[in-house]
Amino acid sequence: MNIDNTASQMRKGVLEFCILSVIKQGEAYPSDIIEKMKAANLNIFEGTLYPLLTRLKNAEFLTYRWVESNSGPPRKYFSLTEKGAAFYKELEATWNELANAVKALSDAGQNNFNS
Amino acid sequence: MKQVININFQGRVIPIEVSAFELLKSYTDSLAKYFSNEDGKEEIINDIENRIGELFQERLKAGVTCITDDDVNAIIRSMGRPEDLEAVEETTSQQSNNTQQQRTEQQSQSTSTSQTTETHRRLFRDENHKVLGGVCSGFANYFGTDIIIIRIIAVLLAGVLIVPYLILWVAVPSSASVEIGGARKKLYRDSDDKIIAGVGSGLGNYFGVNPWIPRVLFLLPFLSFIFHWSHMAFLDFPNFIRFSFSPGSLMVYIILWLVIPEAVTTAEKLEMKGEKVDLNSIKNSVMEEMKGVKQRAEKFGQEAKTFAEEKGKTVGAEMSNVARRSSRSFGDIILLLLKIFGYFIIGVVCFVLVVVLFAIAIGAIGVFPLKDFIINDGWQNILAWGTLIFFIAVPVIGVITWIIRRLTKAKKSGRLLRFSFISLWIIGWASVVMLVASIAKNFKNENNRYAQPVALINPTVDKLEITGPDDITWYNARNNFFRFAPFTNINDEDTLYLSNVHFRIVKSNNDSFQVSIMKLANGESRKDAEQIAAKYDYTLTQYDTLLRTPVGIAITRNNKFRNQHAIVTVAVPVGKRIKIDQKIWKTPSGRVNIEFDNSDWDDSWGNEERGWTTNVEYIMKADGLYTMDGIPAYKEHHDGDDDSDEPVPGNIKKEIQKAISDSIKAQELKDSIQKNLQQPKQKAFNENKTNAIMIPTGLPIINSMMQ
Repeated sequence: MNIDNTASQMRKGVLEFCILSVIKQGEAYPSDIIEKMKAANLNIFEGTLYPLLTRLKNAEFLTYRWVESNSGPPRKYFSLTEKGAAFYKELEATWNELANAVKALSDAGQNNFNS
Repeated sequence: MKQVININFQGRVIPIEVSAFELLKSYTDSLAKYFSNEDGKEEIINDIENRIGELFQERLKAGVTCITDDDVNAIIRSMGRPEDLEAVEETTSQQSNNTQQQRTEQQSQSTSTSQTTETHRRLFRDENHKVLGGVCSGFANYFGTDIIIIRIIAVLLAGVLIVPYLILWVAVPSSASVEIGGARKKLYRDSDDKIIAGVGSGLGNYFGVNPWIPRVLFLLPFLSFIFHWSHMAFLDFPNFIRFSFSPGSLMVYIILWLVIPEAVTTAEKLEMKGEKVDLNSIKNSVMEEMKGVKQRAEKFGQEAKTFAEEKGKTVGAEMSNVARRSSRSFGDIILLLLKIFGYFIIGVVCFVLVVVLFAIAIGAIGVFPLKDFIINDGWQNILAWGTLIFFIAVPVIGVITWIIRRLTKAKKSGRLLRFSFISLWIIGWASVVMLVASIAKNFKNENNRYAQPVALINPTVDKLEITGPDDITWYNARNNFFRFAPFTNINDEDTLYLSNVHFRIVKSNNDSFQVSIMKLANGESRKDAEQIAAKYDYTLTQYDTLLRTPVGIAITRNNKFRNQHAIVTVAVPVGKRIKIDQKIWKTPSGRVNIEFDNSDWDDSWGNEERGWTTNVEYIMKADGLYTMDGIPAYKEHHDGDDDSDEPVPGNIKKEIQKAISDSIKAQELKDSIQKNLQQPKQKAFNENKTNAIMIPTGLPIINSMMQ
């Protein structure tokens, strides 16, 4: 089993949740999302983001509107729909459960290892 | 040596090296292949291309002359190759199917917590949750509050906020900002197809219409000027539009000439036409670059062919769109014309608004010293300052700032600035409304009408002459702006004089002159009004046959302006004469309203402020006032108007006079018959006639019958 692969698999698993988290804070433009993820040390390819956004949009979790930009054509600004907000809540709950579980397990493992 | 071509990429003109272009092409193609099974394939590709276009733009803005292989490679690295994306797609699709399988990494946990940086938000009208214009929901979005709260505030302050609301409705862009495909045209002057400066053809290009349409629009005002078309129904614009129409179009043309850049380079020409089909734009630009070089043209032919084949499929989907765009139906043109016309109207309205704003500002600053003579101390004073600063000064400063920022092309977002100006202005509106309301309250009631007779020394004189004050020393030392009718101050700066005086000449019911004065004022209550009316002084002085009016009604900072006004009634006995001296004009506002009751008096003449000629003697006859020539006073004035430019020969004049007197006789006959028939009605009618009289200062005086 490749360590890189597993790590990136882990990361990718929560991508949607991360994207929704960013958008939840307010309308966001794809490159904003990338920037924020980068700032949080989560590096993904932009090419990954667009299909995800489109999928989330097609699933009616996201909606977007065109916003005129000072330079160049209008940009798509994404925001959460009500459905998306509900979805996010679920994901968040799941995430917290999971995070606690993982933490508990890994802590337990650590303690066992130490003792 | 590398060859550079211009491509139209997602509506942007991009100079790019041929090799880089090939790289880009193969990359987008690979993406297209990769996403071919995806649901929103075209959308994804489009989004990615859009982003790439933006990155290109950034590079170009940074100063590079063209996009190189390195640039494209860097972009591809950041966007990710299909191979990079592959793994992601699988897991993410899995993950979306089964969220329970999420796994974690310490890094990603921080994403949900460290996202505190502010997102770049802008104020938009929210079309999705709108009730009226979407302004409230836009604000709610902007501040992240509940719409309901904003709405409640808006409704509570409806009176104050209605104008800002309308302005915001117009000024704030809608969230449904037009979905412009990829091509974004830019406005250039078209030097290839110009008649004067290419403004017309440039506009034509921009709006996708025949250049002759803007040209004719520019010419129309001149033609209408020449042919006087304005009487035609559909060209019968309101006055201000027509005014701005004739010299306006020339000015607009010149301004556009100065403001719009000329399309010089190929890139600019492409931008001007907003060409969307990449193949075409490439062809055009390359053709230009390779003028006359046959071999290269052939090479281009091959290039174009392969390009067409590869791009054909993807373009195919867009083609229908493009076709719709390029073949404009008649309806579209009408729509565009309406749009242009609409913008024009909006422009004119904005211009007028700005002018009015500045006029109000200048006027307000001029009138402001008068405030002490009108408003009470305390709250009203504060509100007056609030009005001056927030309601008048703020928008003026705002407009100036905006213009300067526009001129200097300030890049920084003026959002905060705009927001603070708007909120300050809302405070201004609140002060205005409160100020007006509280002042209106002070003027709510009028005192009782009571005519005080003036004792004349010898009421049986043959002739009475009404004259103004002898000499007036105008207070001119410092402030010229104190001279606002009906306010004028004389002698010192603490007293204003109102010439709010109205003269009525009526027929006396006996053989002596009778003069009476009715002093009127407004106040918060009737009692207040009585006190105010009793306080001020307005007396006439008689010297033999002269009746002299005072300078005016004195207003001081303690005896404030409460619409003090006086009605002087002079009853002239039949057969006696009356004259108004020119000095009457010397009263502070420059005129005194004079009106005379006459059996033939017409309502419309009653408002005629110059219905009286000074320095002319009038004689009272049984049926009204006449000049010494025997012309009824109102006719005399009327004829004088008509005859002013072409003198009427004597005999014709006589005929006219005869005709007039005939008609008067007929009228008299009719009147007497009517009187006999319906005396009560007629009386009521007469009363109505004289009930409301506008005095020249614009303050209405409610006048009742005094006889």
